[in-house]
Amino acid sequence: MFKTLVIGAGTMGSVHAHAYKKLTNVELVGVVDRNYPKAMELAEQVGAKAFRTYDEAVASIGKIDVVSICLPTPLHKEYLMKAADQGSHVVCEKPLARTLADAKEMIAYCEEKDVKLFVGHVVRFFPEYIRTKQLLDMDKIGSPAVVRTTRGGGFPSASNDWYADFNSSGGLVLDMIIHDFDYLRWCFGEVKRVYAKSSKSRVYSRIEYALVTLRFKSGVIAHVEGTWAHQNFTTKFEISGTNGIIEFDSSKVEPIVTGRNSSSTGGVAVPESPLKDNPYFMEIQHFLHCIEKDEHPIVTAEDAVKAMEISLAALESIATGKPVVLNEEKVKEVIR
Amino acid sequence: MKVGMISFAHGHAYGYANALQKIKGIELVGIADDNQDRGKEVASKFQTKHYLDFHELLDQDIEAVIITSENSLHMEHVVSAARKGIHILCEKPLASKVEDAKKMIQVCKENNVILQTAFPVRFNTPIVNAKKIIENGELGKIIAIKGTNRGTNPGGWFVDKEKSGGGAVIDHTVHVVDIIRWYTGAEVTEVYAEVDNKISEYDIDDCGLLTMEFDNNMFATLDCSWSRNKTYPTWGDVTLEIIGTNGTLAVDAFEQKTNVYSDDGVQWDFWGDNMDDALVADFITTVKEKRSPSITGEDGLKALEVAIAAYESSEKKQPVSLI
Repeated sequence: MFKTLVIGAGTMGSVHAHAYKKLTNVELVGVVDRNYPKAMELAEQVGAKAFRTYDEAVASIGKIDVVSICLPTPLHKEYLMKAADQGSHVVCEKPLARTLADAKEMIAYCEEKDVKLFVGHVVRFFPEYIRTKQLLDMDKIGSPAVVRTTRGGGFPSASNDWYADFNSSGGLVLDMIIHDFDYLRWCFGEVKRVYAKSSKSRVYSRIEYALVTLRFKSGVIAHVEGTWAHQNFTTKFEISGTNGIIEFDSSKVEPIVTGRNSSSTGGVAVPESPLKDNPYFMEIQHFLHCIEKDEHPIVTAEDAVKAMEISLAALESIATGKPVVLNEEKVKEVIR
Repeated sequence: MKVGMISFAHGHAYGYANALQKIKGIELVGIADDNQDRGKEVASKFQTKHYLDFHELLDQDIEAVIITSENSLHMEHVVSAARKGIHILCEKPLASKVEDAKKMIQVCKENNVILQTAFPVRFNTPIVNAKKIIENGELGKIIAIKGTNRGTNPGGWFVDKEKSGGGAVIDHTVHVVDIIRWYTGAEVTEVYAEVDNKISEYDIDDCGLLTMEFDNNMFATLDCSWSRNKTYPTWGDVTLEIIGTNGTLAVDAFEQKTNVYSDDGVQWDFWGDNMDDALVADFITTVKEKRSPSITGEDGLKALEVAIAAYESSEKKQPVSLI
């Protein structure tokens, strides 16, 4: 039985807590949020105890096996270290950190404290993405050539509006389309060159929009669209190869359609899943399995750093107006 | 009005010839085609005369000519027609080289003839309607545009660089660049592109992804790849996603379709308005009324410059300035 704790009772904290609640080999012992009513609300839903601070939770619970960190990105490192100090394994939401230096330090720290670190690159657990990778591996469309992805919807709202603070979140390039960068890297290998444009510093309304071009070492060319300028959350991808095309558009997957007369929702968009076990559940189940069996996860902390590297290269390209060439050697330095 | 056509090398010629037949008072005097078999066939199809030598056609009493030859031959055909005082509708891209396009514009000016670039997408009804939404100001200030103009590899002379000037990038960059310029009045200041030959066996670019910066602080990308495979339900697409400060606008020029599932596979049967008809009718009216063309030679040149800059950028792996 794993004793688990969720830090942060926002959108992702709720997703983690509900996954833990559903798992039979887990006892969700607590939900931490400095906004105590928020912690209580979530704790009540999942049958756990609410805590104002992590330290209070530790004092009350004692040994915790797994800690989920679902906090704004700049807080990841502090709580990861606290959890590692207590010998807890860590499931950290993506992006792992705001800077590569922090990410490197976090990985090293977990190694030093002999705890496992998992990063929530959940797209690798979405069946449409998994099956597409399998189709590619089966050579279903021949050699892939031009790839397009889309992710986004409205501007996310969260505590203290931290997504709107670029220094905290890195905007959608670091926070959101890092999912696509990770997925594309999983499918097509390492990225050679990154060129990107964004609405940042062009407009000051509450929207963000970025278009990123990736050239992979394999020669594949990818176009990644990230948007917080649209209305409904959608994900799309299209892979054209020498012998075929695979395309997916989440907005066209509507097994059930209900009509409602008003809608206004906050939070961060979490795609609703038409599956018994949603991808977030599958992800957390997999991470716990890896702890239990001491196995390598489908997505490692090193993968998380590599995805960050692509995001940060895109941000550099946006700032300089120049393409950024990714240096393999430098990445290895960062990881080790 | 007496009209001629030079070459059926480009498939759009069929649509333009059909369009001419629908306009009252138009006589298609002849079709010049250096391909004997094709020339004879189309002349018979459109009930007109075939000329093997285009000069002979230009010697006839014609007021206007539609040029749908291989890209690299546009200059010779346009310049010859202009010197005879014949008004011209020239297929896109205007030329295979920037210097050719410039010369064509200059000669047409000197001879006081109309040079219209054939960008039929400007007459596509959803594209036209979307322009009205933009002009209403509903989107606020435009921040970015994401365009696609994908297609099927046409083969033939299109994949012969000597005749086409390039592959997917020169073929498919110009349409969407023209529409963006038309929508926003903005000019491209910088182009970055990843271009490659990854899909077909032909030795020509078939993958292209352009990123453009504009003089109004807007940016855009364009996928101009010949990436539609043979079982794809249609030839390709023209789409634009426009991001404004107050909202977004998605345009799919060929979304008016019915899905057909037959034993031949899946096909999208298009039932939208015919844009070729509207383009040709506009050109004929322009000639009749001696107006300035709705799409000028300069418009053709501007779009071509972006395509050529994309090739240069891809070679240098750096953005290329167009100022």
